[in-house]
Amino acid sequence: MIRLRRCFAGIPAARRRQLGLLALTVFILVFPLVHDNDADIDSMANAAAYATLALGLNIVVGFAGLLDLGYAAFFAIGAYFYGVFTSFQVMPLWSDGWAPLAMLGLVEKINQGGPDLVHFTLSFWLALPAAALLAAGFGVLFGAPTLRLRGDYLAIVTLGFGEIVPIVARNAESVTNGAAGLNGVQAPRLFGWNFGVDATPYYYAGMVLVALLIFVSIRLRDSRIGRAWMAIREDEVAASAMGIDLVRLKLLAFATGAAFAGATGVFYVAKLQTATPEMFGFPVSTMVLVMVVLGGMGSVWGVVLGAAVLQLLQSWFLPDLTEWCHALGALVGNAWLQRVDFVESVELIFGVILVAMMLFRREGLIPATRPAPALSFAAQHVAGVQRGGFVGLERIGQWPKGGGNALEISGLTVRFGGLTALSNVTLTVPAGGVVAVIGPNGSGKSTLFNAITGLVPAQAGGIRFEGKDILGLKPHDILRRGVARTFQNIRLFPNLTVLENVLIGQHARLATGPVGAVLRLPRTRAEEATAVQRAIDIIALFGNRLAPRAGQTVSGLSYANRRRVEVARALATRPRLLLLDEPTAGMNPAETLELAEQIRSLHRLGLTILLIEHKLDVVTRLADTVVVLDHGGKIAEGPPDEVRRNEQVLRAYLGRAGRAAADA
Amino acid sequence: MTTFDLFLQQVINGLSLGAMYALLALGFTLVYGILELINFSHFNVFMVGSFIALWTLQQFGLSGQETILVGLPLAGVLLAAFAVTMLATGAIGVGIERFLLRPLRNVKGPAAMITTIGVSYILFNLILLTVGADSKNFPNPLPPLAFAVGGAVLRLREVLIWIVATLLMLALTFFVQRTKLGKAMRATAQDPEAARMMGVEVDRVIMTAFFLGSALAGASGLIFGLYYNFTSYLIGFNAGLRGFTAAVLGGIGNVPGAMLGGVIIGLVEAIGGQLIGTAWADVIIFAILVLVLVFRPAGLLGRLAPDRS
Amino acid sequence: MITRRFAIQATAGLVATGPAFAADRVVKVGLDLSFTGADATDATRTANGGILAFEEANSGHEVPGIIFQLQKYDDGSATAGQYDPAQAATNARRMVSDRAIVAALGPQMSGAGKAMAPILSAGNLAIVTPVATNPDITDPKFAALYRPAGRAIFFRTVATDAYQGPNMANYLAQALKVNSVYVLDDSGAYGVGLADAFQKQAGRIGVRLLGRDRLDPKAADYAAVLTKIRSLDPQALYYGGVAQAAVKLAKQAYEIIPNVIKAGGDGVQSADLLAGAGFPAVEGWYATIAAAHVTGDPKLAAFSQRYLERFRLQPDDYAVTCYVGARVIIQAVKDLLAQHREITRDAMRDAIQGVQLPDSLLGPIAFDANGDLRNQVISVFQIRKDPTRPLDSPNDQYHYVGVAPAA
Repeated sequence: MIRLRRCFAGIPAARRRQLGLLALTVFILVFPLVHDNDADIDSMANAAAYATLALGLNIVVGFAGLLDLGYAAFFAIGAYFYGVFTSFQVMPLWSDGWAPLAMLGLVEKINQGGPDLVHFTLSFWLALPAAALLAAGFGVLFGAPTLRLRGDYLAIVTLGFGEIVPIVARNAESVTNGAAGLNGVQAPRLFGWNFGVDATPYYYAGMVLVALLIFVSIRLRDSRIGRAWMAIREDEVAASAMGIDLVRLKLLAFATGAAFAGATGVFYVAKLQTATPEMFGFPVSTMVLVMVVLGGMGSVWGVVLGAAVLQLLQSWFLPDLTEWCHALGALVGNAWLQRVDFVESVELIFGVILVAMMLFRREGLIPATRPAPALSFAAQHVAGVQRGGFVGLERIGQWPKGGGNALEISGLTVRFGGLTALSNVTLTVPAGGVVAVIGPNGSGKSTLFNAITGLVPAQAGGIRFEGKDILGLKPHDILRRGVARTFQNIRLFPNLTVLENVLIGQHARLATGPVGAVLRLPRTRAEEATAVQRAIDIIALFGNRLAPRAGQTVSGLSYANRRRVEVARALATRPRLLLLDEPTAGMNPAETLELAEQIRSLHRLGLTILLIEHKLDVVTRLADTVVVLDHGGKIAEGPPDEVRRNEQVLRAYLGRAGRAAADA
Repeated sequence: MTTFDLFLQQVINGLSLGAMYALLALGFTLVYGILELINFSHFNVFMVGSFIALWTLQQFGLSGQETILVGLPLAGVLLAAFAVTMLATGAIGVGIERFLLRPLRNVKGPAAMITTIGVSYILFNLILLTVGADSKNFPNPLPPLAFAVGGAVLRLREVLIWIVATLLMLALTFFVQRTKLGKAMRATAQDPEAARMMGVEVDRVIMTAFFLGSALAGASGLIFGLYYNFTSYLIGFNAGLRGFTAAVLGGIGNVPGAMLGGVIIGLVEAIGGQLIGTAWADVIIFAILVLVLVFRPAGLLGRLAPDRS
Repeated sequence: MITRRFAIQATAGLVATGPAFAADRVVKVGLDLSFTGADATDATRTANGGILAFEEANSGHEVPGIIFQLQKYDDGSATAGQYDPAQAATNARRMVSDRAIVAALGPQMSGAGKAMAPILSAGNLAIVTPVATNPDITDPKFAALYRPAGRAIFFRTVATDAYQGPNMANYLAQALKVNSVYVLDDSGAYGVGLADAFQKQAGRIGVRLLGRDRLDPKAADYAAVLTKIRSLDPQALYYGGVAQAAVKLAKQAYEIIPNVIKAGGDGVQSADLLAGAGFPAVEGWYATIAAAHVTGDPKLAAFSQRYLERFRLQPDDYAVTCYVGARVIIQAVKDLLAQHREITRDAMRDAIQGVQLPDSLLGPIAFDANGDLRNQVISVFQIRKDPTRPLDSPNDQYHYVGVAPAA
């Protein structure tokens, strides 16, 4: 056993994955040929359908972090779309207007005694993408009003939609045949050959669908789109400040997930040849969620495994286990064994699984991220500390020098309820300048940054960036125009790697859309390669503080390194104005000096910088101008040395310190 | 029956429904106000509460509608049933919080909510597997008194439900507004960090919220049984969803809002069912939910818990 | 090839129920009902009828040389939370794949039946449903869909909605002189079909329809709709549906519309209704059974007694139809043996098609070419409290009042 493991360990990871995939493919292809039981093959085909549902919900819940409790609604929409357009439910009177559609094979003329009628005969293969599009459309329709809501509100609203769709299906009897179920939904045909009732063709079709959607999921995950979703999941505010259009990307996730469910609905109904409203109720939505949670939220292979395990458990393994127990009970004469029924308690088992997973293994059977191990002591010290700085700066290029003022703030007032956080602040940052904002805690410095970057609304005043008004724009629009920031309390995407964090910074500067991400044409490939190279170059600015750790998740980094990653991420957005909120907080003097040098070198490249900082030596070293805030108002402005001697400033700082000392 | 009488009757029906939903909504609001957690287990704590109430009443030899009690025996039996049910469901709520949710307190994301869905599943299936799927007859010891209000009928048990629900809500309001623990609760809802620094024992506050919320769900379960004279393992989902909608409608985290929301949802269900058809009752309720969330996310009486992310 | 399934069958074969002799042949019969979720209790009650029939046949050596073995399948799933057509289809394949199964009982739900029928037809496996009443499956109009292989494989020991509802409409109009009615259903396939059929016939014979509403079986409060009904003041209320909603409906209707005649189909002929709603709420309700009723039939009382002793549970109507369904299968085996024919699926299908049970618990049983009962008599019962008998026993509390005239 151990030798076997060693033998595997000798194979490189990528090759091991390839071998595993190959073995899995062979198993799936051969299974129906060697396993001569139609019912088990059918169970597998159903499991495939649930795997595709789980893959779709995984995009919504796992990637984008949006809790959708009514996912079965989209499943129902796809199912009824195909069901209605291939069954004998809706049959309008025939007229010659239908003739062109009949030539395309979408309808046929039938006669059941009485006038000629139209019988819809939509092709299964056409219905798959059509239902996906339709469901995606409904996804946008349901999502648009609700995706602006807080996450847990979204859960309850989606639950509502999930309830409403089956109710509509039940009550719209003329279209859906209501509770009695559709009659005679047509089986798929392939080159004239009818799939019929044998489970095997559905099995293969289901597996192809799963493979396709795994492919799509992985392509999306490893693209600009997938990174943006994960950024939203990790921290919405930071994602929006890094140029991600929250509403658009959330809608995209919602629509993509819905599309998967719509296509699955077509497959499922074609296989059953009937559809009833009960097939799409709340239990279905929760069950798919359980599959995603069990497999591992965000883990593509995990959710497929989760779906397979749960579906096969209830339709195949538990009935068998029950039979075994009954047989064993009869053999040994144990009454309990003969009575026990695991199938009846399957929901109870699922509930226990759900709770146990949350308590003991939240990351699921196959975790989505396996963080690289922290650097060993030796690895950290092998080459000594390279401090970065100017090294490699030329590679990230010159910043275009603008003339005039980069940022002009006039009369800015921000209120939170009765509290005035900023009152009538006027401030100018010249292009290519470095301006520092100082002031005691609670003086409104971070609120100023939040107002500039669009995170809080202003009640009065104006903010102009490079001559254009940016007040009232969404954070991602402001970033797109060239204003990037870091946060005082560090808002990185904690479960993503350093490299991914920096790549997300480039979101607004890249163009790949969902289709491009899936197709991955040469243009997309080139863009991605450039983006990765640029991210590596930016990381390299910080020498071997970050470079060897590019593959580690940021939650495991030291405080100082996380500050560096935040600066790197902001740089990746190609800003012309960089807002740094206490960038050296928590750093020791040597590290502070190092970062100050790096900031200065960025400035020399042409970057305009607005800085909040407490450490006066840093301020003196970097800033051309210092602005002092107190109680939300500007009390002084000027060169560092001048401001240092300003009476009012001294009073603001010392006065408060004196009071604090007296209190203590 | 004139249209006005009909309307009056539906208002009476709606107010009774509303009283029940309001009690459920309070449980959601208390927990959400402090933990920002949608507690799905609340649905079935309510359901379990109705069964505990059933068993308690059976201990007094009550079954079916044949036995009628009056005067002191009636008051005694009801008081005992409320006490036992509320203590038991309160204990269940505390147990869920202490053993299943507290370990997840500092975990980001939907883990805690998913846990409550799991707990809901477990409670639901435990009852299904132990008592079966058929509806159970629930004793009704109240005398069948009825009063004519115009052309509408007001029955004794409706009056009783209104009184009990009002008393419970007043007691809760008093607790939250006036007692030390209640104040600590409000402080924690405002800002848990600050409350902790001010010496509030946050664990105790959260546990109290779960106890009170679950106890009210138990009371609601007992009221459900008395009102409808039946219970079943299925009753949690519909009632719970309406209770939650009521909480959101009134402004989640807002105690008077939950009461107002409950009454409105009850009235909408009764009158909407009359006008549009009962098959669409769920659709109406959810349409309201979506509209409120979209146009007035803070609810009717406001106080959207501050975003602490 | 030895598969896992083969091993199970081998083990199960070793322990066939009852005293097996070396020469005995095991005849395996599939039983598919919704044992998980909302219909689980009904499923158990129904299944017990079939179990009882086969146990009696085995222990009495009714068919020499044959041991019947019932193989249970559950078409309810946790995924759907109730009956799941996908699971029903899987089960149909499971039965078809098991070469030892020559006939089957089930399913409970027409939605499941629709998913199963094409598969069973392809596998030539006859199934007898004691519960599913949606007419589509046996309707010759849909023959190409539900019996693609040609011959009927879906048989019923229960009348379709096409008879129960209309005949009851006639009964209300003719026997009870009802001329205005309000119709409710419980959203289920059975209830909606029944109520639709009733409503259609009521319209045809000139009974005024004052309204139609749909109850959510999971909701608790029907006061709103009942108040509305009270304001319209119909002479009768017809309810299509099963006990789950009926329990609440009966309780609340008793208080809100005490003077309206209340009637339903065989779904309200149920021990659950008696136990869940109880007297006095259920007093006076009319129910129908899709079978001839021989007044004072001692066979039925004896059956109830045996059922109660065996399962400690009151039988309901479907326990009887399932028992009779099992009797049909047993009779088919007997007929084949009498003709010295091999017991194959094909032969069993033909034998079931030709079965004649002149004297079953449901009266004479024979099937038409579509698999429906040839003799669709609808008997009407009314609940009247008999305090001397168990209050939750349908056979004691439902009293026969006559035959509903055919449409």
